[in-house]
Amino acid sequence: MIFLKRQLPLAITFVMGVGFILQYYIPHPVSEDAITTVSKWMQIISGFALFLGLASLFHVHAVKIKRQVPGWGYSLALYVGMVGTMVAGFWNHGETMADGGQTAFGWLYDYTMVPLQGTMFSILAFFIASAAYRAFRARSREASVLLVSAVVVMMGRVPLGQFLVPWTWDVTQWLLNVLNSAVRRAILIGVSMGAVALSLKIILGIERSYLGGGKDQ
Amino acid sequence: MKAFARRMVGIDRRVIFLLIAAAILLPMLKPFGLPIKVSPEVKAVYDYIEALPERSVFLLSFDFDPSSKPELEPQAVALLRHAFRKNLRVIGMTHWLTGTGLADGVFSQVAAETGRERGKDYVFLGWSPGGSALIISMGQDLYQAFPSDYTKTPTRGMPVLEGVRNLRDVNYMVSLAAGGAGIEMWYVFGKDKYRFEMAGGSTGVIAPGLYPFLRSGQINGLIGGLQGAAEYETLIKRKGTATAGMDAQSAAHFVIIVLVILCNVFYFILRGEKGSPR
Amino acid sequence: MIFAPLVFALLFIGGPAFAGPPTPPEGFRALDTPNDAGKSLSLVWKASPSDTKERSIQVWAAASPQAAFKKVAEFPSNTRYVKPGDFPWWAQPAARGDHYLKLPSSQAFPIADGTPYAVKLLVREGDQEAWSDVVQATAAPNYFNWAQVNNLVFVLAFTGVLLGSIAAARRNPHIRLRRIAGLDAVEEAIGRSTEMGRPILYLTGSGGMDEVSTIAATVILGEVAKKVARYDTTLKVPHRDPIVMAVCQEIVKESYIEAGRPDAFKEDSNFFITGDQFSYTAAVDGIMLREKPAANFFMGSYFAESLLLTETGASTGAIQIAGTDSDHQLPFFVTTCDYTLIGEELYAASAYLSREPVLVGTLRGQDFGKAFIMGVLVLGTALATVGAIADTEVVSYVLDLFKDFK
Repeated sequence: MIFLKRQLPLAITFVMGVGFILQYYIPHPVSEDAITTVSKWMQIISGFALFLGLASLFHVHAVKIKRQVPGWGYSLALYVGMVGTMVAGFWNHGETMADGGQTAFGWLYDYTMVPLQGTMFSILAFFIASAAYRAFRARSREASVLLVSAVVVMMGRVPLGQFLVPWTWDVTQWLLNVLNSAVRRAILIGVSMGAVALSLKIILGIERSYLGGGKDQ
Repeated sequence: MKAFARRMVGIDRRVIFLLIAAAILLPMLKPFGLPIKVSPEVKAVYDYIEALPERSVFLLSFDFDPSSKPELEPQAVALLRHAFRKNLRVIGMTHWLTGTGLADGVFSQVAAETGRERGKDYVFLGWSPGGSALIISMGQDLYQAFPSDYTKTPTRGMPVLEGVRNLRDVNYMVSLAAGGAGIEMWYVFGKDKYRFEMAGGSTGVIAPGLYPFLRSGQINGLIGGLQGAAEYETLIKRKGTATAGMDAQSAAHFVIIVLVILCNVFYFILRGEKGSPR
Repeated sequence: MIFAPLVFALLFIGGPAFAGPPTPPEGFRALDTPNDAGKSLSLVWKASPSDTKERSIQVWAAASPQAAFKKVAEFPSNTRYVKPGDFPWWAQPAARGDHYLKLPSSQAFPIADGTPYAVKLLVREGDQEAWSDVVQATAAPNYFNWAQVNNLVFVLAFTGVLLGSIAAARRNPHIRLRRIAGLDAVEEAIGRSTEMGRPILYLTGSGGMDEVSTIAATVILGEVAKKVARYDTTLKVPHRDPIVMAVCQEIVKESYIEAGRPDAFKEDSNFFITGDQFSYTAAVDGIMLREKPAANFFMGSYFAESLLLTETGASTGAIQIAGTDSDHQLPFFVTTCDYTLIGEELYAASAYLSREPVLVGTLRGQDFGKAFIMGVLVLGTALATVGAIADTEVVSYVLDLFKDFK
């Protein structure tokens, strides 16, 4: 059992990892065919991951309904929503439009999913304002610099600001293209090094937390 | 004065929410319509599409879902209007499952207003799992990655895909991205390997993070947020929802600036007082 | 005495005016395109002072010298030069300044691997023309892209440095790591929660176990759980990913055992909500508003939900500590949280708290990598500047070592 849970996944990871590092440097059609084949496998596995997520969701909320834990009514609402959407989807063969008209599946998408997601995202506009009011204080030199540049960029990125104070447009462009690019590059380099280091550790079997389990690795 | 400042510093956030709501709603009822300045990064996308010969292949990836619709749908509509006006062959697809209905809706809407035909002038391939694996698959063989389009029509033999075998046959590509699966992924697994030119369209919050790619030439242009969409609408001389939204965005920005300035004034009044806010 | 040099100068400057009839290109040869997947030929010929835009080059190809030739390309003769940066100096098919043309297989002229093809050039200017000799070449796929050997060397070197750093850290894990402000506040946050009798909320972000930030978040969770176990405070860890939840479950259990409080461990401290971004956010916001945790930890990678989570947490008066490598969300964390670990401070925090040799060694290896990149940036900028001022291409021999060629 340990072999299946530990040794075999580590061996597969090592072979595939080293193989596809080398694939990058091999232009031969055999190498291209290999990556095409593996890409198809990855697409199939990604498709299965959807089912896993769904099964996990069904299971968790089924337990909540069965035990009638506080808030189990929301789990029931989730079930009704999920099953209803699935039935509508299968009934309409996954199509949102048919014969020039909207299907039930399309109606559910346009009149529940779109407004709900839009609503959640739009709360950010209000939260940004309240966070800015609370936090943008010139407590120190650095905070003052942050404050001034935030005000300049907020003006430079909208037509009213460009109209009232035209130079904010040019300063904003400079801030975005020069200062911002430089800092983002630095963060990108650091984060990328971290990602490369992690990938190498996973391939070489040094990092095993992705296999699950505790410190018995 | 200090008592007033103390009250204002600790003001209920719902008052701020009301001010923002007013700032967004009022300009929509009474727009003031200001000219929109076009940035070089948006113009670069426009110029590239403008220079493409007729019937060139343009790939548009709708890598967003309904939560980013207000910012990215206007970009998609403006790009499609431009592409159809230039008589380009448009291939649409998405990496976000929850964005398929939205993307198909945009195609249908713009195609209907420009008299373009599905299968002949454009095709919406829909969604397929895999992310980077899908891009690699498309780079090898488009028809294996998408044997049929969103309406279940076989892709092989479609007039719009004539001469297109894989991503190497794409003349220009724009990824409209709201986050993870988007522009970076298209560059690393797409452009770097299959050598097509590409640009990005993104939400305002992730746009600054894409400037390094723009400055190094990895993407040739960037349409950032609602402002970017409004700039593109200005370039194609066809105002849409983005231009309409800029008044509200201007007002909201100004309200936030005024609030921040006021907050600092109250902070300075109270500074040095025992128990004053951090 | 000055007459001869004057004539020579006139001839050179007014070269094109005195070019004479077109002559076959010098040094014309065809070869298999190197470092590619096959089905492509490369043509090379020397540059000439009489190359002008009025003079054109036509490329004619055939399946054999006896077969009918077909025109496959045409362009002005003063184009298609090999410039610095086109090829690395260790793998260039033609010298700089020579002409180079890649002839890939196309619908007009398909090229198959292993089959010899005949190619010739026609130089034409007005009515005058000159044919080159017919040359032959065979396309073949290559097993290694020598243009990217510098990339492979750097990958192997970094791997070596990483493994060496990890080995050194295993021998001596007490490598000095800079103190991070947010970490001092962890103890304070847990103490505050215990005093107030309110739970601690810990989020591991939206990434999976294949992301560095999620791994760092789970390691920090282990350390936080140890402290929580000692103080006997309630810990709540809602999850977006079932695999991350399973890993965190084990980590928290181990932490309670290590702290000597296995009895205090609760199975449901780690629970799965949903994978959907805003559904998860709404659920966590609900937990914050109902249960009012005294301390919120936001570790890992986040997207648009970050401000929704942190602003709601701030409204409940909780102390908030965040750590993320999602640079687009940093402004929101910085403005709404009491402490923020930025980018690699998150990775460093996990190494600092746990002192795991693998984590500490990795951090060291990354630091070496970054130091190398910084050195290369300074050297490269200096060399490129010198090269531009002195108008010399010699510096490109060094700069090419760090370029990415395809």
